[in-house]
Amino acid sequence: MGDTAALVAALNATWFGSGLPPAAQTRLAELAHEEEYPGGTVLLTEGEVAEDVGIVLKGRIALRTLVPERGMVTILTIEPGDIWGWSAIVPPFRGTSTVVTIEPTTSVVFEGAALRIALREDSVLASAIYPRILVAVSRRLAASRLQLLDLFAHDATAGA
Amino acid sequence: MITAELTRPERTTTAGRWYLERSGLETLVAALRADGRTVIGPTVADGAIVYDEIRASSDLPHGVGDVQAAGKYRLTTREDARAFGYVVGPTSWKRWVFPPLVELNTGMRAGHRVEFTPTRPDPTRLAFIGVRACEIAAFDAQDRVLDSGHFRDADYAARRKAAFIVAVQCTTAESTCFCTSMGTGPEVEHGFDLALTELDDGFLVDVGSPAGLELVQGALAGSMRPATPVEVYTAAADVAATRARIGDPLPAAGLHDRLLAQLDHPRWAQVAERCITCGNCTLACPTCFCTSVIQTTDIEGNAATNERAWDSCFSPGFARVAGGSFRTRPRDRYRQWLTHKFGTWWDQFGTSGCTGCGRCITWCPVGIDVREELMAIAPPVALSPEPARVEPVAASFDDFVVAQVVGTRQETADTVTLTLSGADPAFSKGSLGQFAMVAIPGFPPLPISISRFTVDGIELTIRGAGPATKAMCALKIGDQLGLRGPLGNNWPLDRAVGRDLVIVTGGIGLAPLRPVIHALAADRRRFGDVRLYYGARTPADILYHEEMRAWASRGGIEVNLTVDRAGPEWDGNVGVVTQLFDHATWEGANVVAFVCGPERMMQATANTLAGRGVTNSRIFVTLERHMECGIGLCGHCQMGKYFVCRDGPVFSLAQLGDIFGREGI
Repeated sequence: MGDTAALVAALNATWFGSGLPPAAQTRLAELAHEEEYPGGTVLLTEGEVAEDVGIVLKGRIALRTLVPERGMVTILTIEPGDIWGWSAIVPPFRGTSTVVTIEPTTSVVFEGAALRIALREDSVLASAIYPRILVAVSRRLAASRLQLLDLFAHDATAGA
Repeated sequence: MITAELTRPERTTTAGRWYLERSGLETLVAALRADGRTVIGPTVADGAIVYDEIRASSDLPHGVGDVQAAGKYRLTTREDARAFGYVVGPTSWKRWVFPPLVELNTGMRAGHRVEFTPTRPDPTRLAFIGVRACEIAAFDAQDRVLDSGHFRDADYAARRKAAFIVAVQCTTAESTCFCTSMGTGPEVEHGFDLALTELDDGFLVDVGSPAGLELVQGALAGSMRPATPVEVYTAAADVAATRARIGDPLPAAGLHDRLLAQLDHPRWAQVAERCITCGNCTLACPTCFCTSVIQTTDIEGNAATNERAWDSCFSPGFARVAGGSFRTRPRDRYRQWLTHKFGTWWDQFGTSGCTGCGRCITWCPVGIDVREELMAIAPPVALSPEPARVEPVAASFDDFVVAQVVGTRQETADTVTLTLSGADPAFSKGSLGQFAMVAIPGFPPLPISISRFTVDGIELTIRGAGPATKAMCALKIGDQLGLRGPLGNNWPLDRAVGRDLVIVTGGIGLAPLRPVIHALAADRRRFGDVRLYYGARTPADILYHEEMRAWASRGGIEVNLTVDRAGPEWDGNVGVVTQLFDHATWEGANVVAFVCGPERMMQATANTLAGRGVTNSRIFVTLERHMECGIGLCGHCQMGKYFVCRDGPVFSLAQLGDIFGREGI
C-alpha cells in the first residue's frame, strides 16, 4: 500500500485529486500505490480488460488507437494530474484506446476491481470521484469533437 | 489624450532683477510684519523644517540642510549660513491656507426653531516666506479644486487672497524630489510677489506682482541694488544644476492613461501588504483636500458647532455608507489615492494632483515610494498607447505596388514563407498583426498577414490551399507580386506591458503573431510571463519549428506545442490546443491573451481562458473574413457594425460582444 500520507499529498497536488473530502482522500490513498514506468510501457491495450486506473504524477502518456493501413495513431497525450484507465471503473471495463508511456512516467495506480468495490460501498467516495471522472471524460469528448473538425485542414489564410 | 503639461500663466516679472543683501532679509520680515501680516516661514522644530510664524529673520533655519529618502528625514548642518538650504519638510502651506481644522458654522435649536450661523472667514493677512516651485504648483492645484469651480470654498479663497508670497528658487534637491517630472519646478516662474534665489552673500530678487514691486521700491529700497550679470548668471546656473541633479525620475507622459488601464494590477495588493493606511502621505501632501465635518454639541444637544477637519481616503470610514464601506481593503484605498493623484485628478481639474514635492515618499513610515509603485503598475511604454499606424500605400481599389521575392522557405509541405523586398518603405514600418492585400495577375487579390517585418521589406507566410495561394507559394526568387498595405489594425501589445501574456494559436494562425513574438523577445523585460500555446494538425504541420526553439531558449518564452494527431514517433503532446492549459497553474487575473486560429478554435480557447479568469476585454482575437479590397470599400468583410479589414482584424471579445462565434453573421 505504501505511505498513505505521501500518497494523499501526491494526489492533492493533481487536478484530479485536489479538493476531495478528507475521508475520500484517505480512502483513495489506501487503495493506491505509486508506480514508475520506463518509456514505452503499455499500460492498457485497446479492447482488453482494463485492470488499473491511474493518475499521472510525472511524465507523459499517449492514448493510441490502431487504424488499419495507418498503424498506431496517437489521439491524445495525458499530462501530469490527469487520469488514465478510467474504463476500469466504467462498464464494460475494457480499454477504449491503448495507453503507452512515451517517457519515463510516475503514476498513482489503483487496482480497478478494488476501486470498483470501494465505490460501490462508499457513497462519500463515489460522490467525490464520479463527477471528476465525468469532467475528465467530457473534456476529452469536447476536445475530440474539435479534433474531428480537423480545423487546420481548411485554414488557408492567416487571420486576415 | 491628456498630457503631463501644465498650462501656466505668463511670467509676470516686470521690474528687472535686484540684489538683496543677506541683512536685507530682516528688513523684509520687518516690512511684512509692519504691513500687518503674520509672516510664516521655515523654522526648525522637533528635528524638522516646519512652517510657522517668523518674528525675525533669525527664526529662519540658517545653516540647516536636510537628507531625505523613502521613509527617512534628517536635518544636517550646512557649511554655509544659507537660510533656504533645505528642501521641503513635513508641513506644507496647506496648513495655512486650508487649515486642518476650520469652524464652518454654528447651529442652534430653540423649541421648534433652528438657526444656522456661518462662521466668517479668517481675515488674518499672511505672508509666506520660502515657497518653492512645487509649492506654488500646489497652490495652483488647490485653487483649481477649491476656488475655480461653480462652488467655492470661501474660507480658502479668503486666506489664499490674503497671502503675500515670497518664493525661493531651489538650489538644493533631495532624492525624493521629482518636480522636474511633474513639470512644476525647480524654477519658480509665476504665482509669487517676490522670488529669491539665495546666493553666497545675499539674494537675487525677482518681482512678480505690483505688491512685490511696492515693497522693493519702498521698505526694501535701502537694502537693494540692481543685480549684476554675474549674479543673474550664478543664480540661473544654481537652479539649472538642481534640475540636472533631480533628473527625470518619473516618466509622466501618458501616466493618466497607463495608470487607469491598470486597475486590476496585482501590485495593488502587493503594495497594500506594506501600506499601513496611516494616511501620512495625504496629510503631508500639499494638494490633498479631502475633509470631513466634525460636529460638537452642548450637553443638551441644542447648540452645535461644525468644523471642517482634514480627512484622508486612507481612513477606514472615509467611503462608508450605511451598508458598509466601498473601500474596505487597504489595496482599495491605496489605489484610490494613487489613481486620483496621478490619474483622475486630470479629469476633474485639468492638472495632475501631484506636484513632485516628494513629501509622501519621505514621510511614509514604511518607505513606499510612489514613483516606484507607478513604474511597477504603469510603466512607460516604448510603444505609444495608440501606436501610430503607417499610412498604407496603394490604398485604392485599382492600385498595387510591386515587390520582389528575395527569399523563399518551405515551412511545411503546403506552406511557404516569402521574403519580399523593394516594396514601399511603408511595409517595413507596419504594425504587429497588420496584413497586405497580395496580388498576382490572373488571380484574385488575397489578404495575407505579415509574418515578419524586415529592414527593407516584409515576410508573408502562405498556405497553398487554393489556386491563388498555390500560385503565391510557387513564386521563386526574383519573381514579383503586387502589394497594397499595410492594412488593418494591430495586436495591442501595450496592453500586455507589465502583465502576463498568453498567446494561443493554431495552424497558419501563428503567422500574424510571429511579429508579436519578435517584438516581445526584443523587449522581454517589459512583460511578465509569456506563454505560447500552439496547435498544429500533425507534427509535420508545425510552423517555424526551428525558430520556436530560439523563442524558448533565448526569448524567455514558454513554448507549448500540441498536434491533433500523430504517429507513434511523436513524443510531444497530442490533443486540442486548449488542453495545453486546461490544468495549468497560472491565474488569469493578470493575463492578456492574443488568440489566432480558426474561429471554432478561438471560441473554445476563449471559453477556457474565461474559465481561468481572463476577462473579455483582455482577450484579443483576429478574425478572418472574405476581403477583396482591404480598405473598407467593397463591403465583403462586414461583421455586425465592423468592417474586419478596416476596424480589425484584431478585436477584443468585449468589442465583439455576442456577435463573436454567432452563426450567420
